[in-house]
Amino acid sequence: MRAMFRQALLLLGLAFLPAIGQAVYHRSSAPWNQPALREGEVRLEQARDWGDSVIWVDARPDEQFERDRIPLAVPLNQDRWDELLPQFLEKWSPDKRVIVYCSTLSCALSHDVARRLREQAGLPNVYVLNGGWEAWQEALKK
Amino acid sequence: MNLKMKAALAALMLSGLATAQAQLAWDKTEVELRPKVGEKEAVAQFRYQNKGDKPIRITNVKSSCGCTVPALKKNDVAPGESGEITATFNIGNRTGTQVKTVHVQTDDAAQPGVTLVLKAVIPEELQVQPAFVYWQSGEPVKPKTITVRAGKDVPVTTVAVTSSNPEFTTKVEKGSAAGEFLIHVQPQDTSRAVSSTLTIKPDYPKTVYATARVTDAAAAGGR
Repeated sequence: MRAMFRQALLLLGLAFLPAIGQAVYHRSSAPWNQPALREGEVRLEQARDWGDSVIWVDARPDEQFERDRIPLAVPLNQDRWDELLPQFLEKWSPDKRVIVYCSTLSCALSHDVARRLREQAGLPNVYVLNGGWEAWQEALKK
Repeated sequence: MNLKMKAALAALMLSGLATAQAQLAWDKTEVELRPKVGEKEAVAQFRYQNKGDKPIRITNVKSSCGCTVPALKKNDVAPGESGEITATFNIGNRTGTQVKTVHVQTDDAAQPGVTLVLKAVIPEELQVQPAFVYWQSGEPVKPKTITVRAGKDVPVTTVAVTSSNPEFTTKVEKGSAAGEFLIHVQPQDTSRAVSSTLTIKPDYPKTVYATARVTDAAAAGGR
């Protein structure tokens, strides 16, 4: 009985080995470590694959945009929507994908701005960056 | 485990509980407001109570935006005492969903800071749909239509439109519903990239804008 129990434990341990390896050596790419995608969201890896066809839109307040931002990002926050929207539209073109970001995963501003771009301006190909500015900064550390 | 060890463990757990209780308890830290059309400000109240057994001092209250003014009647909160922080959000010309935060700092080691969230969903007095029309380079020169709709209780009977660029012409006609207007926009030609800001002024104290553009991109799919 004891030998059977020991064998079962051994088999269980062996089955866990690959999972432990994944958790230790590829922690960031572990599927359970990635936040779930909400509707209209895109992961940073995907956004990077799109390269120059992306216009980054910063939905955070002006002070945060002034402090730091994704290179070439365009400000478009709800505080100055009427003023900033025409400036953004000057830079937009039909062959571009638009990716909106705000501070963190829980921040809703990017979804609000993306919705207004789709519904009010009628733009196609508007996405939200999953994880926002925080995800961008995390990626820079790797 | 002997008796002494058990007693020490129990004391440790009790001291942990005592620390956890020495904090401000907030009724809610997030408030959603839905101001009516024409309202100039939205005020959120965040109520708290000191549920601990020692006084707490609120050392700093700071808003994320100059448009939101937090107010606190007194900084010191005695055990059992209640109070509130009000956050007055100045709506100005803002529309859509606005999220403002107020950060509160205290001398309570268990909870030195808390972020209060004010979410205001501001109705649009005038809805412009779409706020952007464009033609691709070489696309046939045909008018595209922007619809302006007055919100509930917003009395609009006429609308005037001016284009910042004379290469776009506009024509306004009344829509089928009350307070609805159709603006037909057309560029002179679509052979080169050009853009215009359309200023839409109704007989109501609110001006809205739309953008018209001829893009130089080769991709298909213009509106």
